[in-house]
Amino acid sequence: MNVAARILQPSVKVTGIAGILIGLLAFWLALPPALVRTPVIPVILGIVAVAAGISVVTRGHLRLGYGAVVAGVLGIVLGLLAIQSGETHLRMVFTWGGLLAATLSYATPLTFAALGGMFSERSGVVNIALEGMMLVGAFFAVWGADVTGNWMLGLLIGMGMGGLFALIHAIWAIHFRADQIVGGTAINFLALGVTGYFFIQIYGNDGTPDLTSGSWFTGESIPNVNIPGLGRDSFFGQVIGGLNLMIWLSIVALIVSYVVLFRTAIGLRIRAVGEHPRAADTVGIDVYKTRYAAVIVSGMLAAMGGAYLSIGFVHSFNQNMTEGRGFIALAALIFGKWRPFGAFAAALLFGFSSALAQQIPPAYSDSSLSVLSSSSLFLILPYVLTLIAVAGVIGRSVAPAADGRPYVKQ
Amino acid sequence: MSEQTPKLESGSDMNVAPTTFAGKLTERFNSAGAISAVVTTIIAFFMAGIVVLATGHNPLSTYRAIFDGTGLAWLIPGYGDRSAGAENLQQTLLVATPLMLTGLALAFAFRCGMFNIGGQGQYLAGQTVAVLVGSSWAGMAGPMHIVLAVLLAGLAGALWAGIAGFLKATTGAHEVISTIMLNWIAIWVADYFFGLNGPFQGPVQFNPISSDIVSNTHLYVFWGNPLLQGLDIGFFIAIAMLVVYWLILNRTTLGFEVRAVGYNPEAARYGGINVRRSYFMAMAVSGMFAGLAGAVDILGWQFHLATPDIHASSIGFLGIAVALLGRNTAIGVFFASILFGALTIGTSTRQLDPSVFDPALASNLTLIIQGLVVLFVGADLVVLGLWYKLRRSLAPSRKAPA
Amino acid sequence: MTDSTPVLELRGITKRFPSIVANDSIDFDLAKGEVHALLGENGAGKSTLMNVLYGLYGADEGEILLNGAPVKFSSPKDAITRGIGMVHQHFMLIPVMTVAENIVLADEPRKGGIFLDHAAANARVRELAAKFRFDIDPDTRVERLTVGQQQRVEILKALYRRADVLILDEPTAVLTPQEALDLFRILSELKADGMSIIFISHKLHEVLEIADRVSVLRRGKLVETIPVAGATEESLAQAMVGRAVLLQVEKTPHSPGAPLVQVDDLYVRDDRGIEKVKGVSFEVRAGEIVGIAGVDNNGQTQLIDALTGLRSPESGSIVIDGEAYDNPTPKVMTDVAGVGHIPEDRQHRGLVLDFSIAENLALHDYRHEPQSTRGWLYPGRLVASARRLITEFDIRGGGPSTAAGALSGGNQQKVILAREISRDPKVLIAAQPTRGLDVGAIEFVHRRLMSERDEGRAILLVSLELEEILSLSDRILVMFEGQIVGEYTPAATPEELGLAMAGASSHEAVA
Repeated sequence: MNVAARILQPSVKVTGIAGILIGLLAFWLALPPALVRTPVIPVILGIVAVAAGISVVTRGHLRLGYGAVVAGVLGIVLGLLAIQSGETHLRMVFTWGGLLAATLSYATPLTFAALGGMFSERSGVVNIALEGMMLVGAFFAVWGADVTGNWMLGLLIGMGMGGLFALIHAIWAIHFRADQIVGGTAINFLALGVTGYFFIQIYGNDGTPDLTSGSWFTGESIPNVNIPGLGRDSFFGQVIGGLNLMIWLSIVALIVSYVVLFRTAIGLRIRAVGEHPRAADTVGIDVYKTRYAAVIVSGMLAAMGGAYLSIGFVHSFNQNMTEGRGFIALAALIFGKWRPFGAFAAALLFGFSSALAQQIPPAYSDSSLSVLSSSSLFLILPYVLTLIAVAGVIGRSVAPAADGRPYVKQ
Repeated sequence: MSEQTPKLESGSDMNVAPTTFAGKLTERFNSAGAISAVVTTIIAFFMAGIVVLATGHNPLSTYRAIFDGTGLAWLIPGYGDRSAGAENLQQTLLVATPLMLTGLALAFAFRCGMFNIGGQGQYLAGQTVAVLVGSSWAGMAGPMHIVLAVLLAGLAGALWAGIAGFLKATTGAHEVISTIMLNWIAIWVADYFFGLNGPFQGPVQFNPISSDIVSNTHLYVFWGNPLLQGLDIGFFIAIAMLVVYWLILNRTTLGFEVRAVGYNPEAARYGGINVRRSYFMAMAVSGMFAGLAGAVDILGWQFHLATPDIHASSIGFLGIAVALLGRNTAIGVFFASILFGALTIGTSTRQLDPSVFDPALASNLTLIIQGLVVLFVGADLVVLGLWYKLRRSLAPSRKAPA
Repeated sequence: MTDSTPVLELRGITKRFPSIVANDSIDFDLAKGEVHALLGENGAGKSTLMNVLYGLYGADEGEILLNGAPVKFSSPKDAITRGIGMVHQHFMLIPVMTVAENIVLADEPRKGGIFLDHAAANARVRELAAKFRFDIDPDTRVERLTVGQQQRVEILKALYRRADVLILDEPTAVLTPQEALDLFRILSELKADGMSIIFISHKLHEVLEIADRVSVLRRGKLVETIPVAGATEESLAQAMVGRAVLLQVEKTPHSPGAPLVQVDDLYVRDDRGIEKVKGVSFEVRAGEIVGIAGVDNNGQTQLIDALTGLRSPESGSIVIDGEAYDNPTPKVMTDVAGVGHIPEDRQHRGLVLDFSIAENLALHDYRHEPQSTRGWLYPGRLVASARRLITEFDIRGGGPSTAAGALSGGNQQKVILAREISRDPKVLIAAQPTRGLDVGAIEFVHRRLMSERDEGRAILLVSLELEEILSLSDRILVMFEGQIVGEYTPAATPEELGLAMAGASSHEAVA
């Protein structure tokens, strides 16, 4: 980057951000409530966004510039697709209040697991076993709630089992110095088998029993939090009026994780161990202990995400119910650059695409052959974005320097 | 990237000898490897047996029932029901066939020091292309059509994995992350293709299933009844690929390069090997094997692709266990794939006697055993590694301290 | 230097490794407010001694006394809490963290018991930096600092932990001359402040400039401890190098032919982007051995990397046998230019340890006839040619299919020699070809290099061993801080060369 680009930075930044916003606006205008039905507007706005992006790129700010170019192109394409779709169809899909509430509930398991992954990877242990740890949390939370009759104990039992599986991963990664990908893969297989086995053994083909609805301290499912004074008809009422307690807990977990990692001495040590364990060792930090603790916390957080799915969201368990959410959480972690709010933003984005996919009515009810008629393609979004992010096209994601490297004391 | 800030040496152990994952899983472990693979398997079965026992079942009769379901008894002359045994063995080998191929896929990438966790996506890419080719051009001559479908499926797998190889070679993106992402992209693209209203959905409107492939692209069933899923010649394709795998690794310059990079990328570069090209080529060849697995399944017995199956399949992930247990050797992959194929069939609803052990439990038992096998393979590498290190350090001294 | 009890005393420290006695009953003491230099060649035992002191190795014999009381360090943490700070040659800093975070790590000022008190950390770092006039902003990330600044952060780390003994392990090796001057200023101020400093170096002029006393190590033994006041570069060089016992290599008179290597005004940067080769020009003729002498890390590695295509030069030209090679790949340099390379790092670069001997011998030739045709490899031919080379080069310890990692160091080196020489190179670059080898293997390598010279190859020998350079070379170039600072004949004395290698004559005109 040359000096001129640095001096110009403020105005370049503004142009770039404006470009991205204009690109998104191109799509937004074609949706309810604006519902612009002419292709001219998204095309013009999209071109403006691309132009802004190109000018930003030529002025040296590649990330923002390419971001604006991509936003512009997406704005044109998605805008045109929306215009192709029927108005009723669009109104059905884009009921914003419900869509945003669904976004939050889809994002929550991802947030928990991504925060968990962050602790593990920030300490230098790659965790592709988030999926398995979530699944373990989901099953044992149901089992615990069922046996004890209390969702809080169920949640704790789920977290405990998540922590136990994480401990196995930690022993393999830290003491045996086994390949962490192999270890993680094994945990994923094992979690799938163990939860499936005990599920069938205990509940048979009838599935888990109906969980009694929960209140703050009793009941078998995690309660929803009804905020008094927010009517169900108001926009905010629709979005946050009746969210599950775990959704609010995920926000708490997010803030606590941020504070612990970036505002406390313990967090500084965790990050030091993940970046340069030998440097940490030479000033007297116990690398192994730190990693064990971080990995176990990681399993407990992932299990909370799983518990939300089972005793908070669907109120039952079925085999392999996490369905790859652990891997989306991993993607959110990477896309969010191993930072709590970044991972949360990514989880929201990925949750939004899931919510959108779920909102899309069964394909055969709409004859228009637009992309909006298929939910599958929206479910691809998290993975495509993450692939782009690891390839470094838009803002390279770089893992903690010692992530995945076993540490050998001298 | 050309900023003038000096780069610090970060991370740990930069100066330790570059023992890559491939390095640990080398042929020199072969002799001990075969033994330790067997021991690993026995430990896994033993621990899973404890789970069975703890939950109030008899592990011995359970394993006996599973073994009877695999049809492996057919190989023992005069044991049990011959015709049922033959049928079961056909099923076992039918499942072992794609496992052999995805196992080879994983093994080849391992040999280049890479972890191709995307076998599932590459397998699916192969299935998708095989279905698309097999269900089009109905007029084409059978053998030609089959060859075309198989080749294009292999190519599709190669391209899909090649994306990850290309990204690693050009941007350094870690193949584990990119292949995981490519897996899910493949799953949802295939879901879109063959799902309701998808561009390639079959003729039945409410059925999220592809069209059937034309009957002259079905692979020839050489053992058993074609109507009861006998064993098709896809099995021989897999066996041939074991040979191809061995030949590529040991009899071509590509294999030489791949192995050199897998063991020591720095020495490979010094030797004049284009390391980036090797990464790409290794991933492409790896993906080709997985793509072929998809082709033999479609042309051999599935004949169409149903979206629920797309989500349920784990052939590519099992390839990890097969390659690890088989220690990345052709012969090891052969036996490991038979083991996991047998386990899958032996615990299936169709084969397992429900009065002895609930098949729904048994299929989860299979997953537990697979998990334990991978777990202990991961750990026994360490044990073997330490042993070799010890042996090397006891050997006549040649390492002076710095 | 008022107190008579030394701050630190090492008595009879002995440290043995399987094949070598790294420290042989060494006595060493450090007075308060003193700079005590530890001088010696590579492998003389300086680092081992300091690692014992810092708690990284346990000594086999001997004891450590701190302010007169015996202490035992089992980990660096013990050493740190007893007031010993060490600035490692490879900095122990976390690039993505700020200066303040790096400094306070593991001893953080806190608010309310758990929260990191950034303000207090910054204030403390500012205070320390101001005291010693360091120009460092505590909020800057370490990766944005120059190497010199990073070193100051390391010093601040020790100061923050209230160290009163500071060990600096070859601190100037990574610094520019200007940064080195700054460091010396800082060290003087620390000394005035009562800090006791151990300064490890092999550069004579630095030792004379900064130290009060100097201890010279040679081959694990303490040669002498003397005040710097009476020492000269000549006397120190003599003590450091010793009376060279030259290995006798029969040398035929040298009759150089046409120049096969012509390097002109070459500039090369290292991985960190630092210029390590600064305008080097020389030539090597057919039938001569040109030795490059120099202390480690003076640009030799980068020079060799550029000559073999492993690293792109910044500017300048490389001409091999009349052909110019700009930005070549390793493949072009071996296959087209005909450059053979015996790399300095045998196990990381020279060999694929998991490959068999036959495969290692074919590491370049696997892609050529007759080893392979159109991508098809003939392992039988690899084995056949390996058998030939194993006999010719007397490689012992295994057959063609034995893994290279199972061989002894000497035989591993023979594999490399056999591979590089059998390809009939025009130019042979030998980097530290005898490092870590026993006497027999050294002799073998030396004789072989000599006979290859007589065959008419141009040989560039890079070595840290003066004796090796002196006994083999027809001409000797001395490299110091990226430049060639002098040319000598083999008749030069080790003292002369040692002086030049330590930069003593760097200000004089190039001979």
